[in-house]
Amino acid sequence: MKHSQGFPETALKRMLESGRFTVTGEVGPPHGADHSLVLDRTNLVKDYCDAINITDNVRGIPTMSSMVCARFVIQAGAEPVMQMSARDRNRILFESELYGAYALGVRNVLFITGDHTILGSHPQAKMVYDLDSIQALQLASHLMTGQDLAGDELEGVPAFYLGATLNPNADPMELQVWRVEKKRDAGAQFFQTQAIYDTSRLEQFMEQIEPFGVKVLAGLIPLKGPKMATFMNERIPGIKIPKSFIERLEQAGDGLKGDEKREAVRSEGLKIAAETIKKVRGIRGISGIHIMAIGWEESIPELVRAAGLYPRPK
Amino acid sequence: MCTLLVNATMIAMELKSPEEILKMLEGYRKIVLFGDSGCAQMCDVGGILQLEDMEDFLRQNGKEVLGRIFVEGGICDTNNIRQELIKNQEMLERADAFLIQACGVATQTLTELMPEKESFPAANSKFLGSMPERFVHEERCIMCGDCILDLTGGICPIARCAKGILNGPCGGSMDGKCERDPDTDCVWQLIYDRLKALGKLDNLRSIWKVKDWSLARGPREIIKQET
Repeated sequence: MKHSQGFPETALKRMLESGRFTVTGEVGPPHGADHSLVLDRTNLVKDYCDAINITDNVRGIPTMSSMVCARFVIQAGAEPVMQMSARDRNRILFESELYGAYALGVRNVLFITGDHTILGSHPQAKMVYDLDSIQALQLASHLMTGQDLAGDELEGVPAFYLGATLNPNADPMELQVWRVEKKRDAGAQFFQTQAIYDTSRLEQFMEQIEPFGVKVLAGLIPLKGPKMATFMNERIPGIKIPKSFIERLEQAGDGLKGDEKREAVRSEGLKIAAETIKKVRGIRGISGIHIMAIGWEESIPELVRAAGLYPRPK
Repeated sequence: MCTLLVNATMIAMELKSPEEILKMLEGYRKIVLFGDSGCAQMCDVGGILQLEDMEDFLRQNGKEVLGRIFVEGGICDTNNIRQELIKNQEMLERADAFLIQACGVATQTLTELMPEKESFPAANSKFLGSMPERFVHEERCIMCGDCILDLTGGICPIARCAKGILNGPCGGSMDGKCERDPDTDCVWQLIYDRLKALGKLDNLRSIWKVKDWSLARGPREIIKQET
């Protein structure tokens, strides 16, 4: 695919291409209209991340627009990665929002298929899926040539550093590997994985996608406790948390009560995450980590420090 | 025509709740019931048995059921239904309303043929599907207007993927099942297995282009030119 402008230089791109171990984190948009929460959450994690992801209505639970939040991330002095899901927008809105996002200064955009709405709070909603995530990447790449899908010339050509997701836990593996290749061909330069717990499958997956020459950030979701782990196994698509981890969380803080118990469980969750970081660092082809704290943004600084990844290079 | 479709494929439907049916018939006393031996009977909403049950139910709830019109074939077969309407003209003239125990096409066909009175839907039309066994119906086609079964080994991702995506599976496919619920097969796993068996996995190597959804959007019509 041809790009008239090429990919823009973003801090994320520079980090990934420098070969240094990259750290990105996720900031959950507010469930409402209070934008100060985006600023607060960004301020909490920005010194610990090279770029900050803004999720897009995860599980179909409505939160503040990812484009608007990405703008506030910039305002807070960090670099956003704006996520766009194919579930809630058709090709017209994709184009429209990509123009808008570029105008607001957003340069990293990451495309996802989007969870089925049945997993969230609005299961009655009509899902769109006019495009899939691969076609959405193609569309973004196409806009960068200066034309829209109809072939009409653009009044201002956007340029993005494009990202996508991959899930080594998903089946069938061969097809998931081909999907990474398709996403690369559609313009994706970097990938974030679904949350990794058991690293053996990621290792196997990385071997298979090595020839594609893409940058991969291993996804991490620190576990707050055994209930969260069980919930995720049941309700979050594409996640497999080994029983042994759940048992460790159950046993953590044995004999303690209340806040002390809670703290012990949480620190065990962070310990598991730090161990996972250590393991993924040893996997060939992994360029960094992506921490999805899901409402527990405080865990990001702690985890980045614990993993010896602080301070971040400027 | 429905008679030809019955064994292979059909419009799958379910009866609305008794409360819903009574609510829509509020203010109408003399009712004529319609059913057929096609999709309506196969789905157990408008066969002879269901027409009898509906008649009992409506009588118990203060309605007068003037009669039942059971069409051999489908109500959607306009010539067929016209004959039935002529045969039953006198009864139909006395009715306050018609209750159609068949699909939305049937209700609209009768609305168009008898516009002076209202035809009410007793069933919800749900999907176009197969009937692998009695009482079991599975969705197979959403009539998108641009069939790609030649590329997928005869298994439709548009109808059978919960997201209807073209470059699947998404990241929610695990152990052959869909992220939506553990009972639903991931259709992309089925397609993968089938194409593998056929030696046609190459079909999945390239990116499938964006779909022309305008072909799936109604109102649509087909007018075949005589040759």
